Amino acid sequence: MSSAEAARPVVADRIERLEAEVLDAQRIIGELRDRDTLKTQFLSNISHDLRTPLTAIITHAEILRDGILGDVTARQMESISVIITGGRQLLDMITEILMHARDSSEPLTLVESEFSLLDVVEQVTALNESLAARKGLGLERRVSTDLPPMRGDRDKIIHVLTNLLGNAVEFTPAGGRVWVHACHGPEPSDELVLIEVGDTGRGIAEDHHELIFREFAQVDASASRVHHGIGLGLTIARRFVELHGGRIWVESQLGRGSRFFFTLPVRHRA
Amino acid sequence: MTARILLVEDSALISGALRVLLEASGYDVTVAATASEAIAWPDGSPPDVMLLDLTLPDGDGLTVIGGLAARGLRPRATLAMTGHGDTATRERCASAGCDAVLVKPVPVKELLQIVSDRVV
Repeated sequence: MSSAEAARPVVADRIERLEAEVLDAQRIIGELRDRDTLKTQFLSNISHDLRTPLTAIITHAEILRDGILGDVTARQMESISVIITGGRQLLDMITEILMHARDSSEPLTLVESEFSLLDVVEQVTALNESLAARKGLGLERRVSTDLPPMRGDRDKIIHVLTNLLGNAVEFTPAGGRVWVHACHGPEPSDELVLIEVGDTGRGIAEDHHELIFREFAQVDASASRVHHGIGLGLTIARRFVELHGGRIWVESQLGRGSRFFFTLPVRHRA
Repeated sequence: MTARILLVEDSALISGALRVLLEASGYDVTVAATASEAIAWPDGSPPDVMLLDLTLPDGDGLTVIGGLAARGLRPRATLAMTGHGDTATRERCASAGCDAVLVKPVPVKELLQIVSDRVV
């Protein structure tokens, strides 16, 4: 027998074993995918189940607050307002958790369409206007008139802007200013739009500038911290911006306000 | 004549809250907890406004629109209610014939305004 002939059963045996291992690996991948789908489904159901009673709580509280079931005293109204604020905070956190869980298990996709950045800025600032007014904050928006129609995932951009503006309003004490600017940039020749959300609030120390974008990061992690949240907002914002091929960063110093910037490529159809 | 609202919502907690709100504002409210209950609207003339939750135990809420239309009872205005106001959902609702998409929890003042606008 030649050495090649002698080697054949060994090779065949190896091949058989490798084939078995590949089948095994494929089976495990299938199981993991199923478990992942179950997990996402579970989180989606949980989110719906959590939001239902919360919706009822907020609706009833607003019914009371607006005097629909009779006059309320000023002190009763304050108490009811706390119920509503707390309820809405819970809602925001549930939404963030669900979005994070969904995005970390599936590959993120962009649902692309053409949209007007001006409309998006208007929509998001309108949502924050009454809260800003209640805090006595100046809210200013400025969008360059020569911006072309944007091409990107409109919902995701809205989410990023909502998060940044919400933070600016939350972290700026009464009497301060908050603003949203959008223009070509940073260099005029760039095929980019530069969006800025700034505030005259408490600011962020330089050594926290990268930390704040990390999952679950809290600048002040003590139990008595004033500002609550899951710590996912900026993580999600960065993921969404980078998905578009853009960049997000902050310029800020403690006690000197903050300016959050992000870029988005302008994808012309032409 | 009192305007009639068909409230299609499977959560008793939420439909209870909305019923309190709408009846206190002078509307006549009928609650349906499933799509089939909604389609079986018992009256000969259609509801003035339908508030339609999109996720119902027996299927997609949007099927109610076609179901009522087939009986010649399509509501004068349909306002969809959903937990997510994303673009895909809005487009689906618009194609199915909804006049507006409301994201739950809808602020009470806003809901009353939208309903009263549609009832006129």
